[in-house]
Amino acid sequence: MTYDASSQRGKRAETLETSGRTFWGRLVEWGPYHTLMRLATASPRRQFLILAAFPILWVLTQHLGPMLQMLRVSLTDAYPVAPGVEQHFTLDNYARFFGDSIFWMPFFRTLAFAGVFTFCTLIITYPVAYFLARHVSRKNQMLFLLLLLIPFWVGEIVRTYAIMILLGNTGAVNMVLKWVGLIDRPIPFMYTSFSMGVGIVYLTALYMLLPLYSALEKLPQSMNEAAADLGAGAWTRFRRVSLPLTIEGISSGCTLVFLISTGFYATPVLLGGPSTTVFAETIAGFFHVAGDEWPTGAAFATIMFAAALVITATFQRVMNSLRKGERK
Amino acid sequence: MNDRPELFRGNRIFLSCTYWAFVLYVFVPLFLMILMGFKDSKFIGFPIKSWTLDWYTGVFADAEVLSTFGYSVAIAVLSTLISVIVGTWIAVLLEGRKFLGRTAIFGMTVLPALVPGIISAIAFRIYARYLGIEPGMGAIVWAHAVHNVPFVVLVVMARLSTLPKSQIEAARDLGADPLVSFIRITLPYLVPAILGASIFCLLLSFDDFVRSFFLGGYEPTLPVLIFAKLRSGMSPEINAIATVALILTAAIGIWAERFTRRMNKES
Repeated sequence: MTYDASSQRGKRAETLETSGRTFWGRLVEWGPYHTLMRLATASPRRQFLILAAFPILWVLTQHLGPMLQMLRVSLTDAYPVAPGVEQHFTLDNYARFFGDSIFWMPFFRTLAFAGVFTFCTLIITYPVAYFLARHVSRKNQMLFLLLLLIPFWVGEIVRTYAIMILLGNTGAVNMVLKWVGLIDRPIPFMYTSFSMGVGIVYLTALYMLLPLYSALEKLPQSMNEAAADLGAGAWTRFRRVSLPLTIEGISSGCTLVFLISTGFYATPVLLGGPSTTVFAETIAGFFHVAGDEWPTGAAFATIMFAAALVITATFQRVMNSLRKGERK
Repeated sequence: MNDRPELFRGNRIFLSCTYWAFVLYVFVPLFLMILMGFKDSKFIGFPIKSWTLDWYTGVFADAEVLSTFGYSVAIAVLSTLISVIVGTWIAVLLEGRKFLGRTAIFGMTVLPALVPGIISAIAFRIYARYLGIEPGMGAIVWAHAVHNVPFVVLVVMARLSTLPKSQIEAARDLGADPLVSFIRITLPYLVPAILGASIFCLLLSFDDFVRSFFLGGYEPTLPVLIFAKLRSGMSPEINAIATVALILTAAIGIWAERFTRRMNKES
């Protein structure tokens, strides 16, 4: 057996060698503990079961359980069940979704918004990630990245509020525009899809930036130089070298941002208006206004989750085939 | 790094402009929000003509706000404890020897982190009802704990994969059983990862709105309180509360970043 005698390891080996005198050594030799441990580790199979039982039980009941229960409730006609009422299996909750534009309009709006906002986030953060990974020295990279991380430790609500102050009628943007003389009357940015977009891009940018950064960091500089030597301009180098080689980062960043932006509730409530109602608000409505419409809410949430999964899976598949196509 | 900077100078200028513009985009809104907390008027908006500290003294004198702070911190600490214990356990299982269904377990482990916020909140709300957990502190702690487990698992797994197997073998040769070698060798090795993950969970829980909102009882957490106040109108009082929360979370984040970096360097 190879033995690396670095200081830390040496120290540990020492305490274990003299285990006859330490607490742990005495514990190992203590009768009841010893018997228990021997029973537990009698066979690799038993040892594995003891290690695995709790984690497996936890992920099944706590991680998968809520989703399955939501699915089950969405297929019933009453939940929570009042005493004396029988619960029936039904698909009515799903039928209700297609029956009224008040339901499916926000749904498609949410998907469209999430797609557009994801694209905007990509466009905005790609050059930033590129600059960080390719044009900042290793020593400064962490510092430059940390600077961008700080605002992201601040909560969703606080940052949404900050956007409200930025874009309000007496907000900073309008004040600056007025002062410059571009406008006489404030532009009503707030309660539109624009203010919502600014807010959501603000909240999700980091989840795009980090995957892009780590993809770009791995890109060999020699490739760009070779392309330049062969006469490729900046745009061609980007399109033919950087972009294809960072498709993996783009795809995981977009997936994350898309999933996150379909799930926002507070931000659309605070920054959006009546014409920008998103599906999260529709779903929430079933849970705190009318108390007995949980099955419909559950069905709508299930539809939303299924749609988000299908879209991101399709997207990833397309990106993968693009990547393979480029490799050929 | 560029060996031949002259080749890429034009790009460099353009790219550094986008970087600094982005820095402005992420900092200016927060800066303006902080500024507004010092405005000597009930009306939110520019220009700010006179300044005051009254909103801040008001925050620290407001029993409701202070107790909400305490409530949010308690929820964050409790849920983080659960997440860290469960997450480490799952990570040890997944990073250990291969077994049938490991990929499925891993998929289920990361599921809560991938479910969009509102859907996760709804699912937890329904499941809490099913388990008989009343809306309130217990329900929020539980939901935050489950939601944060995947982050702990990913961080701890990354650290575990670099643990030299020879150390465990040495301990076993010297008479330690699996439990003792875990406590004496594996756990100390995982400390930086566990601390980093804990801070991340604390911040996630403290900042979480959507789960706290749907699983909370009558007592609001801090984000829920700010949301409720915002719905009834903007006021510099909210800026003062939000600024205190902002400074707290940013300070913890920066400290944790430095701390984990130092720990990683040492080991």
